[in-house]
Amino acid sequence: MRRTWYRAGALAAGIIVLAALPLNSTPYTNYQVALVATYAVAILGLNLVSGYAGQISLGQSAFFGLGGYCAAIATARAGWPLPASFLLACALPAAVGLLIAIPAVRLRGHGLAIFTLALPLIGVALAKRFLDLTGGSEGLSARIARVPGWTGLDIDQWTYYVVLAIAGALFLLARNMVTGRLGRALSTVRENEVVAASMGISPRRYKALAFAMAAAYGGAAGWLYVYTIGFVSPVEMELLLSINLLAMMIVGGMGSVLGSLLGGVLYVYVPIVAGTVDPVRTTLLYGAILVLVLFLAPGGIARALHRTGDWLSDLGDDWRRRASAPEETRKVHGATTQRLPRARGGDRDDGNGSHRLRTRRE
Amino acid sequence: MRALQQVIDGLATGSIYGALALALVLAHRATGVVNFAQGQMAVVSTFFAWSLVQSGLGVVLAIALTVAASLLFGATVERVVMRRFERESPMITIVATVGLLLLLNGVSSLIWGYDLKAFPPAFSSGTLRAGEAAVSIPALGTFLVLVAVVLVLYVLMMRTRLGLALRAVADNPDSSALSGLPVGRLLMVGWGLAAGLGAIAGCLVAPKLYLDPNMLAGVLVYALAAAVLGGFDSPLGAVVAAWIIGVSENLAATYIGVIGNDLRISVPLLLTVLVLLLRPQGLFGRREVVRV
Repeated sequence: MRRTWYRAGALAAGIIVLAALPLNSTPYTNYQVALVATYAVAILGLNLVSGYAGQISLGQSAFFGLGGYCAAIATARAGWPLPASFLLACALPAAVGLLIAIPAVRLRGHGLAIFTLALPLIGVALAKRFLDLTGGSEGLSARIARVPGWTGLDIDQWTYYVVLAIAGALFLLARNMVTGRLGRALSTVRENEVVAASMGISPRRYKALAFAMAAAYGGAAGWLYVYTIGFVSPVEMELLLSINLLAMMIVGGMGSVLGSLLGGVLYVYVPIVAGTVDPVRTTLLYGAILVLVLFLAPGGIARALHRTGDWLSDLGDDWRRRASAPEETRKVHGATTQRLPRARGGDRDDGNGSHRLRTRRE
Repeated sequence: MRALQQVIDGLATGSIYGALALALVLAHRATGVVNFAQGQMAVVSTFFAWSLVQSGLGVVLAIALTVAASLLFGATVERVVMRRFERESPMITIVATVGLLLLLNGVSSLIWGYDLKAFPPAFSSGTLRAGEAAVSIPALGTFLVLVAVVLVLYVLMMRTRLGLALRAVADNPDSSALSGLPVGRLLMVGWGLAAGLGAIAGCLVAPKLYLDPNMLAGVLVYALAAAVLGGFDSPLGAVVAAWIIGVSENLAATYIGVIGNDLRISVPLLLTVLVLLLRPQGLFGRREVVRV
């Protein structure tokens, strides 16, 4: 019960801080935070297919870029209203994702990973091919963010609020999806496909669904990116982005909504903290962090935090129990007090990428 | 006649995809892992060979030394990095290889830099003519090396005790350990062999593509497609699939206007989709049976 209160309090405090932040910070910071939210959405999508459904996708950057082009072309070129182009940026990648997933889920083992590896390469080639539409390698400038006059905000502050509001809504949606029926179905598919099938959950259908949702989130993130940066080019589709997003998803925490957010933070701030824009060192750093986290905390940072939280709260309970116990009992049991395992609320461990179930390797 | 030339060129590029595909299949057969870092490991090997050549060694000798060094390199990577993840879910192993990919990419850019480097060809650069079709000697050499490697691998995997042990460990590490096989050492051998093969692939393709840290990213896509198409367990299947991909990609790029030169990368994907819809286990793969 107390944990729920802590959580609600932390969430409220976080929202207040995030709402007040852009009013007192530089445009640079505002754009950085908006980018964190943008990449967090892309990583969240990846998490749906990888963390929850257990399939690795290396194609997220293709959907990210596709969403970006949807935003730039539909709004800046064709003059669509922003909500319409946002819907397009979600729907088109989802449709493409579904189309690709249908044959890909037939592959045994990690077929999707191999399959999706080609998507960014094809995406880049397509973007360069349709020069008239996409601007080719030069990219497409599309300043689609407009501040409504009544707000009195600067462009960076308005962008910040819009991007964070949309990202927040998408996070809430994902959280509700994965804690419900859908999340349970996906976890079952991940743990054991045969068991899932025997319970009437079609592994192929759910994997395809997860992949389509991941694509939609990737597209939405691409839209947010163009809304923030005002520019899209084939670089936003490159394979390296997919790989880095995957790496940061694992580091943040597979199968964890909080982990996706942490992944977004790391993706944006690792290169900055490293004090370098040198792509060489950034790649090295991402790789080193990923391998290190895999060695030290295979569940990612979110899970490590969770563990620490549990440990602290257990410690607190212990101390309280000992303090409140009457002197007599303490004497009797004190020496050999063995803390009973506290009943854990429901399936907290479920879906945290912690499964050690030994899957037979094909 | 032009079509014939396209087929020959396709077989030549297919041989390159095939070499890397073989490395992937070997790693998969020996350790049950799809190694996304295979291409990046091969790039590191190729850079090593380049450094040897720069220091004055002959190309063939440099490549031979590199292959030997790569055996050690692959075994070390298995022992130091991958061993930790082999008992984890296959998903974690794949992610670990992706981490390895990033790490090696960063390391090789840090050591050797980003600018393109010319790699000396192992074969002389003449062409052989038969009628109107011409085959370049490097292409023919690559082809022959590949055929030789397939034969050696076949004998190694199917006719020796080591091959039998490697297959046993990949299939079921627990039972293998119970039968007294040194599982850890065999996994190291498997990774070493795969890295050696990757080194051959890298050194053969480097004169054509120029050497840089991202040289094999595109080739890896083709190689993975070939491995999937061939069934991921069959060396012969991988090589045949690589040739099919090489030839069809060349023909498609030449004769199908929509695809052209820039979209040729979509050909292996489309081929894989087509084959897998009809035959999910791949051309040469065995159907997988899951026991609950």
